[in-house]
Amino acid sequence: MADPIKVTKAYLDILNQVFEIEKKLSVLQESNSIQRNVNKLKEIMENDIVAQGGDDITGFIYHNPIGEDYNITRTDCEASIAGESTEDLQITEVIKPIIRFRNGGANIIVQKAIVVVKAKNSL
Amino acid sequence: MEQMINFGIDLGTTNSAIAKFANGKVQLFQNPTDPGTYTLPSVIAFQEDRIVAGKKAREWLERDPQSVVGRFKRKMGTSEKYDIKSIGATKTPVELSAIILKELRTFLPPGEYPEAGVITIPASFDTIQSNATKEAASQAGFRQVLLLQEPIAASLAYANTKKEAGMPDGQWLVYDLGGGTFDVAMIRVKEGEMKVMDHEGDNFLGGTDFDNLIVEKLLIPAITERYKFSDLEQEMKSARGKYNAKYFVLLQQAEEAKILLSSKSNAVITVDGLTDENNAPVDFEYTITRTAFNELIAPHIDDTIHMVEQIITRNKLTAKDLQFVLMVGGSTFIPYVRQRVEEVLGVPVNCEVDPITAVAAGAAYYASGKANVIGESTLAANSPVAIKVTYPKVSREKEELFLAKVTGETTNLTYRITREDGGFDTGIKTLSERISEYLPLVANVYNFFKLTVYDQENKVIETGTGIIGIDSGYGINGQPIPEDICLEIDDDDKPGETKLLQVFQKNNILPSRKTITRVLNKTISDTNGERIRINVLEGPHYALPEANKSLGYLEIAADKLNKKVLKGSDIELTFNISESRDLTVTAYLQMADQEFKQTFTPQERHTPVDVLRIEIYTLAGKLENEIFETNNHEDYAVGKQLAELKKDMDNIKGEAKALAEDDVTDKRYQLEDRKRKLAQAIDLATKQNRMNDVRAAYFNIKTVCHQRVIAGGSEQDKQHFYDIVKDEEHFLAVPSPARTIEKSTALHVLNMTMLWRDPEFLVNTFKELLAAQRAANYDESLKALEQEGLQAIQQRNWSKLTEVDHALIARVPRGAAQDVIRKVGF
Repeated sequence: MADPIKVTKAYLDILNQVFEIEKKLSVLQESNSIQRNVNKLKEIMENDIVAQGGDDITGFIYHNPIGEDYNITRTDCEASIAGESTEDLQITEVIKPIIRFRNGGANIIVQKAIVVVKAKNSL
Repeated sequence: MEQMINFGIDLGTTNSAIAKFANGKVQLFQNPTDPGTYTLPSVIAFQEDRIVAGKKAREWLERDPQSVVGRFKRKMGTSEKYDIKSIGATKTPVELSAIILKELRTFLPPGEYPEAGVITIPASFDTIQSNATKEAASQAGFRQVLLLQEPIAASLAYANTKKEAGMPDGQWLVYDLGGGTFDVAMIRVKEGEMKVMDHEGDNFLGGTDFDNLIVEKLLIPAITERYKFSDLEQEMKSARGKYNAKYFVLLQQAEEAKILLSSKSNAVITVDGLTDENNAPVDFEYTITRTAFNELIAPHIDDTIHMVEQIITRNKLTAKDLQFVLMVGGSTFIPYVRQRVEEVLGVPVNCEVDPITAVAAGAAYYASGKANVIGESTLAANSPVAIKVTYPKVSREKEELFLAKVTGETTNLTYRITREDGGFDTGIKTLSERISEYLPLVANVYNFFKLTVYDQENKVIETGTGIIGIDSGYGINGQPIPEDICLEIDDDDKPGETKLLQVFQKNNILPSRKTITRVLNKTISDTNGERIRINVLEGPHYALPEANKSLGYLEIAADKLNKKVLKGSDIELTFNISESRDLTVTAYLQMADQEFKQTFTPQERHTPVDVLRIEIYTLAGKLENEIFETNNHEDYAVGKQLAELKKDMDNIKGEAKALAEDDVTDKRYQLEDRKRKLAQAIDLATKQNRMNDVRAAYFNIKTVCHQRVIAGGSEQDKQHFYDIVKDEEHFLAVPSPARTIEKSTALHVLNMTMLWRDPEFLVNTFKELLAAQRAANYDESLKALEQEGLQAIQQRNWSKLTEVDHALIARVPRGAAQDVIRKVGF
């Protein structure tokens, strides 16, 4: 198990907001180029945040697990199970994304996703 | 020296934790599957082939109560058994507690396997319940167990925050309001002996009830007030309800708001993501104030206080007889709880211990004073099994099959596979002759998994399988890029010249993508005839641009733009290189909100004659400069080499001049090739000179900075200085000056930071700036600054003087921007 690292909470807060904006954008379907700014923000967080002089790329990446399968082995998400069945679950709502911190080759989860899951047959 | 037990365990109703006393202090262990938390939810889920304890199990608790068990501690010492549907068997509370204890052991670093420990129990536990706890510990492999009452443990944690040894005689209350339970106990110390005098509790009251109250009493009414729903609460709370999923979202938001309200006076909850019966989308922000939250929980807090009062009354005491109320449990973070307890009881509350971990910490303190009579813990000796594993080392799939063949005696053995990033855990599974698991892979990284085999008591059995590594990004599918791929950019230090910026590093794997944002350094408009040149080259990024092969060239002139783009606006360049090496460059001009895109294929070289000509002339200019510099340095050997190269340069120049714009022969490519080779030769001949200059500048600033650090730098400055210079031998050896320049800049910044803390520098700066500005314009504001500055010097108020100096600097008019030649545009 990799040593847990201390991450400034503000970075996670910013990424959660970027994620929220991206989520809203997906339903907005605007013809403007807001997505471009969102991508830019993500890239800054991914490549330029913690790097200080070293050669390794350090930064944060978030992943939206919406639509992915869910089972008890997934410790990258904290789930609330909606509906009656607990079989064959799928992630139907993502309140917070999975945030990973990468430092060179290392890659650790610094925020688990907060999700709601449902049985596929109840969707 | 006598060996002590040292390990303390809080085996809680809702959450458990483990701590160790070592080197004079208590260390708490983090949950390996939930980094950042020190607790394990006391919940166990049984699935057909696995056992999962903790947070994951808690997720399943409400939805699958027939196979998931929690709160079993309350049944300790009873004959009650839990029927577990998924495995078709029963489990006793003792067996379940043993699973929690085993799981807590996995929090410890490899090699730590305590067989002696102090385990806490509620004050209300009778002898049978206490013995049941001991039995659970025995089943989990503990050979020596001491029990300690939870309120005593919390009090010990408090006592150990005090410097003086022991506690004076007296009595106090331990008020423990956690996530799902409430307990209060009265503790008395008499002649050094600490004892629980009385206790009360409610097994169904805690923080999760408060989250529910926020949703039920505030959020649902707020939604129905604004939108049309016939029975929203029912539809949310019923598992079959239409909005059941939304209920959990609101609960989550309520919990966050509750936590925020401990430090802020209000919290905002965004309610969206559902539509009402009129098809109107719900979307509003609900502000919950601390006052509203307090009113909501007040009846419950008053209930707890009533229990406290009962204890005081039946022990014939008054508030005055109590020293304090020690606050324990996560819900005592709520300011209202602290305030209300203090207000009603008239006894000061004591919040000096960490309410989440105090019980485990207290148990560890207690354990540090108790002798370990069983001696050193031993790890399982000879491994009874041998494991041969098979899995793909490289994969682009979302998951990969891991197979293992186990030989030897597997009875009573279990195993578990976890992913190193904390994102996957199989839970405890029974070991048999074959292991077959699908391991989920995170894309584009190396995924490391660990297979751990345990014996019946959860001792780790060494099997020598090592780390399971699956590369999910750098597979053999991708070919490496043979040379750096670079972008030509203007060189800020040498106006009129350009340098290279690495886009893709040599040996990066195809395909690859990168976005670079640059600031335009010239305005592009119809009137000024300027254009943006995007030149992508292949070759070492530390070489001269002319020395590298041109891969593609994209030019944006003003006539292609919707509007004028100003100097200072952003240009965003995205480079995509496909597996077949097609390079696509996309340039997005933020100000014009316009995108330009071009794909370059290796067969199609973009070498416009006019561009080639500019490049050749630039190179010729550069060569002249180098010759001049070399002569200045009296470096005759290099000078001779350069003079030779100049002859060739003159030839190329002449041929380029004669080349027609629309020349259809291969001439332009030949010329380009000759130019490139010539540039490489110039680069090679002069590189040493350039590197020497950069190195000299580095050593110069290093000496200055070092002297300042030694003379008056703080510990932090020293550390910073050594951090900058520590890998000096490496970056000085790199052929590129970029890293050395970067380090020089960092030293320069450190030097300036220290200078700005030096009173002498501040005074001198003040005097010099003032003298210069007095001569120019001695106005009222300058007089005021002078007054302030002199006063600050007199009072030795250096932070004030720093402000004055900055104010004086701000008054200096900015020099007229010098227009310099910018070739590329960024």
